[in-house]
Amino acid sequence: MGGYGDVQLLRDDGLRLDGRKLDEMRPVSIEAGILPAADGSAMVTHGLNVAVAAVYGPMEAHPRKIQRQDRAVIDVRYNMAPFSTGDRIRPGYNRRSREISKVTAEALESVVLVERFPRSKIRVEIEILAAEAGTRCAGLTAAAVALADAGIPMRDLIVGVASGKVEGIVVLDLDKAEDNYGQADLPVGILPNTGEIAFLQMDGDLSPDEYNLAMEYNFKAAAEIHEIMVDALKRRYEGGEN
Amino acid sequence: MVELVPTLLRQELARLAEDDQRLDGRAQWEGREVSLEVDCLYNAEGSAKVVMGKTIVYAGVKFELRTPWPDRPSQGSLMCGAELRPVAHRKYEPGPPSPESIELGRVVDRGIRESGCIDMESLCIVPGEKVWGVMIDIHVLSDGGNIFDACGLAAIAALRTAIVPAERFDVGEDYKLKVNGTPIMSSFTRVGGRYIYDPSEEEELGGDERIHITLGDEGHLHSLQKGLRGVFTPAEFAEIFDVAHQRCTDLRTLVANQEGN
Amino acid sequence: MSNGQNGAELRLVTPGMAIGPSAGIRVGSGALAQNDTIIATRLGWVKEFNNTVSVDPINSAYMPRSGDLIVATVAEVRNNLWFMNINGPFQGLLPMSLAPWKVEFGAARQHMGIGDVVLARVQEVDECHNVVLTMKGVGLRRLTQGSLHSVPINHLERLRGEGNATLQRLRDACDCRIIVGENGKVWVDGNSEGTAWARQAFDLVLKSGHKDTFEADLTALEKNAPKNGDA
Repeated sequence: MGGYGDVQLLRDDGLRLDGRKLDEMRPVSIEAGILPAADGSAMVTHGLNVAVAAVYGPMEAHPRKIQRQDRAVIDVRYNMAPFSTGDRIRPGYNRRSREISKVTAEALESVVLVERFPRSKIRVEIEILAAEAGTRCAGLTAAAVALADAGIPMRDLIVGVASGKVEGIVVLDLDKAEDNYGQADLPVGILPNTGEIAFLQMDGDLSPDEYNLAMEYNFKAAAEIHEIMVDALKRRYEGGEN
Repeated sequence: MVELVPTLLRQELARLAEDDQRLDGRAQWEGREVSLEVDCLYNAEGSAKVVMGKTIVYAGVKFELRTPWPDRPSQGSLMCGAELRPVAHRKYEPGPPSPESIELGRVVDRGIRESGCIDMESLCIVPGEKVWGVMIDIHVLSDGGNIFDACGLAAIAALRTAIVPAERFDVGEDYKLKVNGTPIMSSFTRVGGRYIYDPSEEEELGGDERIHITLGDEGHLHSLQKGLRGVFTPAEFAEIFDVAHQRCTDLRTLVANQEGN
Repeated sequence: MSNGQNGAELRLVTPGMAIGPSAGIRVGSGALAQNDTIIATRLGWVKEFNNTVSVDPINSAYMPRSGDLIVATVAEVRNNLWFMNINGPFQGLLPMSLAPWKVEFGAARQHMGIGDVVLARVQEVDECHNVVLTMKGVGLRRLTQGSLHSVPINHLERLRGEGNATLQRLRDACDCRIIVGENGKVWVDGNSEGTAWARQAFDLVLKSGHKDTFEADLTALEKNAPKNGDA
């Protein structure tokens, strides 16, 4: 969190700078099966964020040392394209992308029935083509749709959503300015059918009440995004109306 | 990961070549349908998406302010890089840039640089102090064969629609980057003993060496590259050189039409 | 039919979605009983049969089972065995003793090299996914001619049809020998016209194997079959 208190993020009429209500998320659209070379894939457009996910596998886990005799490992790489941000990012792995990859993999391992595929690896590649705050959530959502598209057995999908705090007020789905100058960010991965949480990060400053409200917003948004995910998967396969 | 080549695939490709046919029914010098979209990435100053069959490629242009090289105080710089990340195909593995992705980026870079379509002097703001560095990054999302041509096309199309972000860097008003020309790459692979244009994934898998030719607007050569194991004759080159001239005219028109929109 | 697409039964589910109450109902593949509810674990069509609820996946990797007839490609040769690519997560192993020839130790390479394509059967799969193949059996052999094609695993039933009726139609239409491996690899042997037509038919299975229009599309394609052209 940037934490500059002097930037105005809420308008006098109580709406946000881009005209959204406090509990309103940016527009989301999802397309499944967009990459012909992958076993499963998805593109998530969340506001101005564009996240693409590809799934390969299950395949034999290499190198051998990552193999688990009792289950599959999920090998996630979250990567921001060099042109995805205002200033160009040097290609290659950095500490931020490594951390996001790790917690994303662990979240996905919580829903994929990994015990069905001992000694295997399922590769999940998340590529951010355009970033405007909230890429890890868009990437997580894309990964879940891509896994389902690849036919990987899972006990639920995962929806990535975030709420935060600007000018002391809890708001849903921070955009770039709100992320830079706001006071807290709470990205989570929600299992839409069970209501469990598989991904959780937070930074900034939230009171217990603010946390509860932020979570309430997140669950509301997750239900909305889940419908869009299901629709994307169905559109790809149903009777071919599309 | 080295891909396994079934002997039956090589046999079939050889048989088809004898009958002057290809796996997907195309003629020897026929390309796949190409779709080109420009201005499709929100944070890039210029961008393009190319779809050719099962191949999908994005290119994005970014600018930075830098101090010029001491020996060329009034010249900006251009850099083009390609990433063959594991998202693009089962065969690509994670790790530092592979020789394949470095070759890809450098071949595209040479074609654009040597065509002279970017006047390096025009990238100078204050001689000896401040010049623009132009960076084209190419991102292959799906490798369905002939990523070289797709990357070359995406790179020049992104460059030709780029806006120099002068305002953001406090050096004047934004303006359209001046690009004089549209260098176009054409790629050929030996399949079943003969060369074909625009190889598909299966043709590359069961094929041999490849040749990449980048031609400028005047039909001059700006970059050549022979890759993979194999040899060719001068007569073979003469033939594909002719084809490259024809094919690059079509693609140049495609780029021009996109800019009109 | 496996597709569950006949009229009112059409129901596509996504992972985690509730299918119905679990009381008194057996849970088949692609589904899971959670609390009092059966939920889907895969993207696919709901199938209810014999008091069992399962989900027919829309996309699937090949998971070998013993007895499967498959089309495999040699990936690696050792002195006394071959490793085969079977289009699944793990390679299959063909020991010298299960080859169709009498092989001297160290002579495996003289019989089959990397890239060679064979018709084999899955002998055994253990719980750790170790797959043993055999080439001892009627018709199992090295495929020295013809071409190799791919069809999605979940469309194999569509490709074969009731009692192999669809497959036989394809064979008749293109006048080719066609062998469908359980691993989604298909071998076609015939002239180049017939092979090209078969390739179009497999593309059709890939693109519209899950649609109601498949039957009509296939009939349309049959009109362009080389045999009809000759007649």
